[in-house]
Amino acid sequence: MQNNAVNAGNDRPSAPVLAARELSKRYEDGVLALDRLNLQVQSGEIYAMLGGNGAGKTTAINLFLNFIDPSEGEALIGGIVTHRDPIAAKKQVAFVSENVMLYPNFTALQNLDYFSRLGGRTGYTREDYRKVLLRVGLQEEAHAKKLRTYSKGMRQKCGIAIAILKDAPAILLDEPTSGLDPKAGLEFIALLQELRDEGRAILMSTHDIFRAKQVADKVGIMNRGRLVAEKHRSELEGEDLEKLYVAYMAGYMEAAV
Amino acid sequence: MLKLIIEKELRETIGSSRFAISFGICALLIILAFYVGARNYQVTRAQYEAALAENLRQMEGITDWMMVDQHIFLPPLPIAALVTGIANDIGRTVEVHGRGELTAEGSRFNEDPLFAVFRFLDLDFIFQIVLSLFAILFAYNAINGEKEQGTLRLTFANAVPRATYILGKMAGTFLALAVPLLIPLLIGCLLLILLGIPLNGGDWGRLALIIGAGLLYFGVFLTLSIWVSALTRRSASSFLLLLILWLFAVLIIPRSAVLLAGRAVDVLPIDEIATQKSRLMAQLWEEDRKVMANFRPSQTEDTEAMLNEFNQFMQDQAEKREQKLRALSERLEEQRRNGERLRERWALWLARLSPTASFSLAAMNLAGTSLMLKQQYLDAANAYQERYAAFIGEKTGGMLRSGGFVVRRIGGADNQPPPIDPREIPAFDYQPPPLPEAAATSLADIGLLACFNLLCFAGAFVGFLRYDVR
Ligand SMILES: Nc1ncnc2c1ncn2[C@@H]1O[C@H](COP(=O)(O)OP(=O)(O)OP(=O)(O)O)[C@@H](O)[C@H]1O
Ligand SMILES: [Mg+2]
Repeated sequence: MQNNAVNAGNDRPSAPVLAARELSKRYEDGVLALDRLNLQVQSGEIYAMLGGNGAGKTTAINLFLNFIDPSEGEALIGGIVTHRDPIAAKKQVAFVSENVMLYPNFTALQNLDYFSRLGGRTGYTREDYRKVLLRVGLQEEAHAKKLRTYSKGMRQKCGIAIAILKDAPAILLDEPTSGLDPKAGLEFIALLQELRDEGRAILMSTHDIFRAKQVADKVGIMNRGRLVAEKHRSELEGEDLEKLYVAYMAGYMEAAV
Repeated sequence: MLKLIIEKELRETIGSSRFAISFGICALLIILAFYVGARNYQVTRAQYEAALAENLRQMEGITDWMMVDQHIFLPPLPIAALVTGIANDIGRTVEVHGRGELTAEGSRFNEDPLFAVFRFLDLDFIFQIVLSLFAILFAYNAINGEKEQGTLRLTFANAVPRATYILGKMAGTFLALAVPLLIPLLIGCLLLILLGIPLNGGDWGRLALIIGAGLLYFGVFLTLSIWVSALTRRSASSFLLLLILWLFAVLIIPRSAVLLAGRAVDVLPIDEIATQKSRLMAQLWEEDRKVMANFRPSQTEDTEAMLNEFNQFMQDQAEKREQKLRALSERLEEQRRNGERLRERWALWLARLSPTASFSLAAMNLAGTSLMLKQQYLDAANAYQERYAAFIGEKTGGMLRSGGFVVRRIGGADNQPPPIDPREIPAFDYQPPPLPEAAATSLADIGLLACFNLLCFAGAFVGFLRYDVR
């Protein structure tokens, strides 16, 4: 297996932090949810997966986290094949899932503390937690409130704070902006850019074409389990991503009929 | 890692309002069970003492030991008041003549049906219901609840081995729930001391073992709940499933086991035995009447000697009658007992499919109020009867009330014998099997509870290793 030619515009020679090689998943009921996915995310890069409902985005992320085993191919984090050594692989990755509720009876600080320790980071102080919560846009007065009182967007921010605290070289995000209001969405984009500039490899799935174009270094368009296009930032300059997206989707829909 | 997960489980459980409310109710019920048990003991104690006094009062003014109507009573035992078992259902009073078959009469529920209403509040029952529900209430969504709130995904995005997680989860939940339960249990024990219930070292040992069995029973439902929650995706379905399992364990299995065993094994009915016995009795009387009619004293000069000879003759007849009756009765009783034993074995082993039955049987064995109590009490009464017979025999020169009749020469009014002193009668005391023996009889059930724990633990463990954490 080798790097796929779709990686046009990849000018970095370093090994990718996140990589999928011919990654495929057929569920027990026969649905081919992911069909030979190949992608790479380098350190200091944001990769946005676009695609309609059921395109296979969550499946891909679940494979990276070894929540499910691949039917074929492999997902790698920091060079480790995730389904061979999931424990070692997961040390290298932070995850923000869609609709995370966290522990409703814990405060934001308690949730942060628990998940940081679980991620192997035991040295944080209360001040560190406070700072990161402020950084993701949670106001001071919310920090000691139980999560049950949080709105969906506030929980999402808390989930992002947890991912930041894990301080891992790779970050996976499944529709991270879905619960955020426009202002929070904007702040979130800025935050992602900061994390990229720190040198993390970020793979996110999203329905938000506008944000994807704004922030991503690479955009992959998925349809029915297949990566149908991959565009580097430079190829998107001046392009209308929305039109491109619809065009690709339409093309594949027709091809599929 | 394990410590972290346990800690989190502790904090999450104890911090919830669900815990505050249900633990409060649980604690209250447990303390109430101890209180009711203590009051129950005091009431039975008072009744027991009244019965003893009444027995003595009846003997006042009697001048002839042969006229004595001795009754013995099942003394109340503190632990039996906590785990009543069948103690309130069996007869407590036995009339002892020194000879013949003993029957216990006058059960507490029979005399005072009001108490049958309150039977449900003993420690056994509270443990059966409350501990199992408490465990289910907290563990029904142990795994699938975390999945629903997305924390399972987030947890396993970290380098967490599944085995560590499930172990921490079980240990944490058990500690979070079982340790607080010790508080009302200790308060309950304190209450027993404050209310002046006389518990000796053995009693405390029994109580400690009953509580230990209770915690094992609690563990069964806890691990079972975690298991079920690791087999289902939605917490609503695991809750429903657990409620159904609970109904089966607590209500349906024990009762249907008894019904099934009753159907499967025939036992000689009591009425049948009574009929056969009275038939033989009538026949023997008939024969005796003829023999008596033919009684001829060997000499007719000395009335005193004649009377003695007649009485001796009557005693001998009574003895023979007694022997024949006893032989029949023993044969029938043996037959009945064998049937009963077989039925009992079937019923109890079938019932033991339910951990609730196992716990209850263990508790009753430890408290000395199991099905064996009836026989043990009668055995003690029979042993007493021998001592009593020896005592009366000594007082009357070999004469016993025989169910037949005895002719006494009424002496002249001038040499009226002095009244007897009833306090000379040997006292009856009943001791339940000693602690080591009780512990040994409850071992099977405690072992069974441990096996249930192991089974559910293994189930939960394996179930979780294969669980879809997404
Ligand atoms: N556990 C499962 N068993 C069977 N099929 C599944 C399972 N999970 C997902 N699928 C199927 O796999 C395909 C891809 O699903 P996936 O959740 O990856 O899509 P997605 O791109 O994340 O969609 P969305 O934007 O709606 O989140 C869908 O057709 C879905 O029905
Ligand atoms: Mg999805």
